[in-house]
Amino acid sequence: MLKVEELSKNYGDFVAVDKISFHAQKGTVFGLLGPNGAGKSTTINCISGLMQPTSGHASVAGHDVVSDGKAARRDLGVVPQELALYEDLPAIENLRYWGKAYGLRGAALEARVSEVLETIGLGDRAKDLPKEFSGGMKRRLNFGCGIVHKPKVILLDEPSVGVDPQSRARLFDMVEAERDAGACILYTTHYMEEAERLCNSLAIIDHGKLIAQGTVDELRSKLGARDVLQLSGSFPVDATKHAIDDLIERGDQDLEIISQEESSVTLTLSQASQHLPAIFAAVSGAGGKVTETSLRSPNLETLFLLLTGTELRE
Amino acid sequence: MNFALTSFKKDLVRWRQDVMSTLIWISIPLMIGGLITLMMGSDVKPHGVLLMVDQDESFFSELVAGAYSAGELGELISVEKTTLKEGIERVNDGEASGLLVIPEGFGDAFLESEPVTLTLKTNPAQTILPGIITNVTEILLDAGFYAHQLFGDEIDAIQKLGDNPADAVVAAMAVTIQNKVESVAPHLFPPILEIEIVEPPPTEPSPPLALLFLPGIILMAVMFSSNGVASDWWREREQGTLRRLVYAPGQLGAFIAGKALAAAVIIGLVGGLTLVIGFLYHGISWTKLPSSLLWISISGVALFSWFAALQMLFSNQKTASVISSMLLFPLLMAGGSFFPLAVLPGWIAAIGRASPNGFVAHRLTSEITAAGAWSIDLSDWLIVIAGAVIGLSICAWRLRSGFARA
Repeated sequence: MLKVEELSKNYGDFVAVDKISFHAQKGTVFGLLGPNGAGKSTTINCISGLMQPTSGHASVAGHDVVSDGKAARRDLGVVPQELALYEDLPAIENLRYWGKAYGLRGAALEARVSEVLETIGLGDRAKDLPKEFSGGMKRRLNFGCGIVHKPKVILLDEPSVGVDPQSRARLFDMVEAERDAGACILYTTHYMEEAERLCNSLAIIDHGKLIAQGTVDELRSKLGARDVLQLSGSFPVDATKHAIDDLIERGDQDLEIISQEESSVTLTLSQASQHLPAIFAAVSGAGGKVTETSLRSPNLETLFLLLTGTELRE
Repeated sequence: MNFALTSFKKDLVRWRQDVMSTLIWISIPLMIGGLITLMMGSDVKPHGVLLMVDQDESFFSELVAGAYSAGELGELISVEKTTLKEGIERVNDGEASGLLVIPEGFGDAFLESEPVTLTLKTNPAQTILPGIITNVTEILLDAGFYAHQLFGDEIDAIQKLGDNPADAVVAAMAVTIQNKVESVAPHLFPPILEIEIVEPPPTEPSPPLALLFLPGIILMAVMFSSNGVASDWWREREQGTLRRLVYAPGQLGAFIAGKALAAAVIIGLVGGLTLVIGFLYHGISWTKLPSSLLWISISGVALFSWFAALQMLFSNQKTASVISSMLLFPLLMAGGSFFPLAVLPGWIAAIGRASPNGFVAHRLTSEITAAGAWSIDLSDWLIVIAGAVIGLSICAWRLRSGFARA
């Protein structure tokens, strides 16, 4: 339903998106995960026709977004990261207007608008102006405007940014409802827990490159059963590295350094809690001082850490 | 076409939310126009007070007093008798245009042809009325001198007659005076000089100045509203709706057409209201209203499209708004909204007519002052239509070249 092949977007010498490829199927949610500035929005802009890709291809329901852009856009619904609403037009008129922009008319339009109003939970506020709405209500209407024409493919660009927990739960319900209705959804986020809840499959993107792709279970298996231990404080670089290398050479621990700086050391190992005393002793012996310890069980966030060596930047 | 109408209706619904802007677009030109019309159309003539101190109270001093308030002069000057002290105080306080003192013995001195001094004190704070009073006084003195030259003998004889002259003597005196008047009458009534009056060729009466102001005032409303409606492109961009429009399949042209149509209606309503008020006030024939309304509506779309194109060239809304407003007021000044082009020197008027709004105002002036309706040339209609098409094409180019995507 949605195919992206070797897609690149350059701004002069800067490569915002670097030859990324993925496929998303009908009735599924495909997550595109990455920190801010990773290239998620640029990818969405290239698929939606807002930008011309520098190279590569993208197609929506079999229509190439560049050579057959009009047909591709007819089957595409976009829920942009920023609100895109007429604040001075009643909510119902916003939905009608964008429905008409995609060719809906008459009874079909009215029926769909009513359906969307119910889906987004604004049936009782249909005639009110969005400028009188709360942030969460505006987000829901923004979502409604993107799906009012019943698109086959929906692009959701960080839809939960700035949304309160209640509205976020409602948003998840709406996304799942569209997925269950047969839509193919591309969902970008930098919240791993959202991806774990909603996405059937996902790709992790950083600095414009896809660094991992698969189902949530497939990606988890890449991590194995290893925990991530992060120590914060002050650590003499060479002495600390030697101390940890000694632990590894002793071979009694399945230990690996992910990253090391003067202020932090990140390690991965199995059953980390059992080995904490030995690790602390080694680090202290090397002259290091631990002020904070973070131990995380394997999840997508720790996978991102493993793959990139950095935390997800917000 | 369907989506163009949808966009048109959408903009009208949104415009209804912004009543305050519309009121400003209408009220400022009407306020300025009203003030100008009041100033140009008022019929107030200057009027002054001449204070007179008559210390002689003779027949001749009464004659002098009466001369100031006779005929059309009486509409300009009121003569008030007063005392010398009060008269000086009132002139010094600026309450009167002048103070004339007729001394005691004025009548006798006139009859006996002896020198006499009339004192005239004028108000230095005024220029026109004291000047008139001075000139009239000099003319009266000249008239007195010539009357004495002409009827000096008769005046002497009358003085010697005493209080109860015989009827026969009075009759003889009257005949003598009549004969003298008749002898000089051919020279005075009419004057012996023959004057040939050459009349200029007949010309059409010049329209009143306040009427010449009307097109400039209407164009002020049109300019305000077209600039205001043009800023909606930026509002849409800030709301993200232009970006959402780009996601929709092939609706950009219809969207622009809808916006132009809405602009025509909004500008037509704002300009039309000022037009109707102007037509009512000046009593202009209603047959010219449809052509005038169509002219300002189409011209308004052209102005709107150019204002929009200009605003869309800038990288942020604030700069676009400031530059657009900075351009607006010089254009209003050049285009005759503050001074009618008809009363400006030729070369300035030529520059004004070359400005976009001056061009429109000049043709509108022709339309409302012409003998019949639809007097604007076809070429002028084509120029404003072409202007609108070019301006909207620039807007479309800016939308496609990144303005909508930001």
